[in-house]
Amino acid sequence: MSDCCPGSKTMDFNEDDAQGEDETGARQSQLKQWPIQLHLVSPQAPYFQEKDVLLAADCVPFALADFHKDHLKGKSLAIGCPKLDSDQEIYVDKIASLIDDSKINTLTVMIMQVPCCMGLSQIAKSGADKATRKIPLKQIVVGVEGGQVLSEEWL
Amino acid sequence: MEKIMSKDIRAVIDQCPEVGRLLEEYGIGCAPCSVGSCLVSDVVGIHGLDPQTEATLMYKMEKALYPDRDVPEPKVDLSKIVPKEINYSPAVKNLVDEHVLIKRMLALIPTIADFVENSETVDKDLILSCVDFIRGYADKFHHMKEEDIFFKYVDEQSEIIKIMYEDHDTGRNHVRNVVEGAENGNKAQIKEHLHGYRDLLTQHIKKEDEILYPWIERQMTDNQIGELFQRCSAADDSVGEELPRRYEKFIIDLEEKFAKEN
Repeated sequence: MSDCCPGSKTMDFNEDDAQGEDETGARQSQLKQWPIQLHLVSPQAPYFQEKDVLLAADCVPFALADFHKDHLKGKSLAIGCPKLDSDQEIYVDKIASLIDDSKINTLTVMIMQVPCCMGLSQIAKSGADKATRKIPLKQIVVGVEGGQVLSEEWL
Repeated sequence: MEKIMSKDIRAVIDQCPEVGRLLEEYGIGCAPCSVGSCLVSDVVGIHGLDPQTEATLMYKMEKALYPDRDVPEPKVDLSKIVPKEINYSPAVKNLVDEHVLIKRMLALIPTIADFVENSETVDKDLILSCVDFIRGYADKFHHMKEEDIFFKYVDEQSEIIKIMYEDHDTGRNHVRNVVEGAENGNKAQIKEHLHGYRDLLTQHIKKEDEILYPWIERQMTDNQIGELFQRCSAADDSVGEELPRRYEKFIIDLEEKFAKEN
């Protein structure tokens, strides 16, 4: 892949070694369901009913050390990649079904800061527009280097 | 300083007016507030300043209160601080948008007051139709969503919420006086309380948009934000789409009426 695309550009963060290397003890997973991939989940699954749903780009949990504690806790999950996944119109329909059929409470989309990841927010917005019910939709953007949350806003 | 943090802001400003000036400098308008019963800790915390700015403000306040104390100065370049745009959740954005129509009514009040003053007799229908907007839209449609739903997500005994309730009650009292003035043909009473309502609501809306709403939202979970949205939507549905449309048309007609007369 070309180095010109920020989504696939090669970057090495090895030199930055001041990142919480002294952690000990096991942490509890906050994942309360299976499956999680958006093609595999049924939007009418019991674990989505009236829940706050997190739609995360595939790379997000790897970038954020405290993804489980800070973002997944208390939410149901779906993941996808707007750059590599096929048949994304199915994703739009599934988001609409989550809102209308499972009556989810909120939808939070977590994406990486790379431009191609904005596609996942677009899918979420298209699904929300297609749904009859209206719900609050939030976008969280995660930085590639250092795994910081760069922005968090209601759309 | 901890003792000061748990004092009423009015008492602290009375003791040291420089504190009031400092709060003004940081966009915290406590000095002109007539109530002033908020605790200093709440006043600072509620404005959501970034940590460095808050530390600097606290440093300056401590120096103003205790000039002889040796307090280390926090290093911060105020010129590099960019004010953050407020990002409301959808339900709260709707409340802020409703303020816009109310502010259009407030903007018309000086013209309406002059019209009352210069008319031979009081146009009772005009005054009562304005009162109907205030009661039907600003109070029943809008304030009730705040009082019955939104404010319930925080401690209703907190000073800032008590002040909001007091503002609502004071506003209702002004409106009662406007009605009484219209019934009795008392121009002075109508004018005084229309202006009183305008001054009150102008400050009230500014406080809500810039301070109170963001403060409440910062304390809410995503789950509560979703619930708030559904509850406000249900409240809107219960009155129907026609009511806000009717009041918007009323304001448009009123603006046109006075645009023509001027």
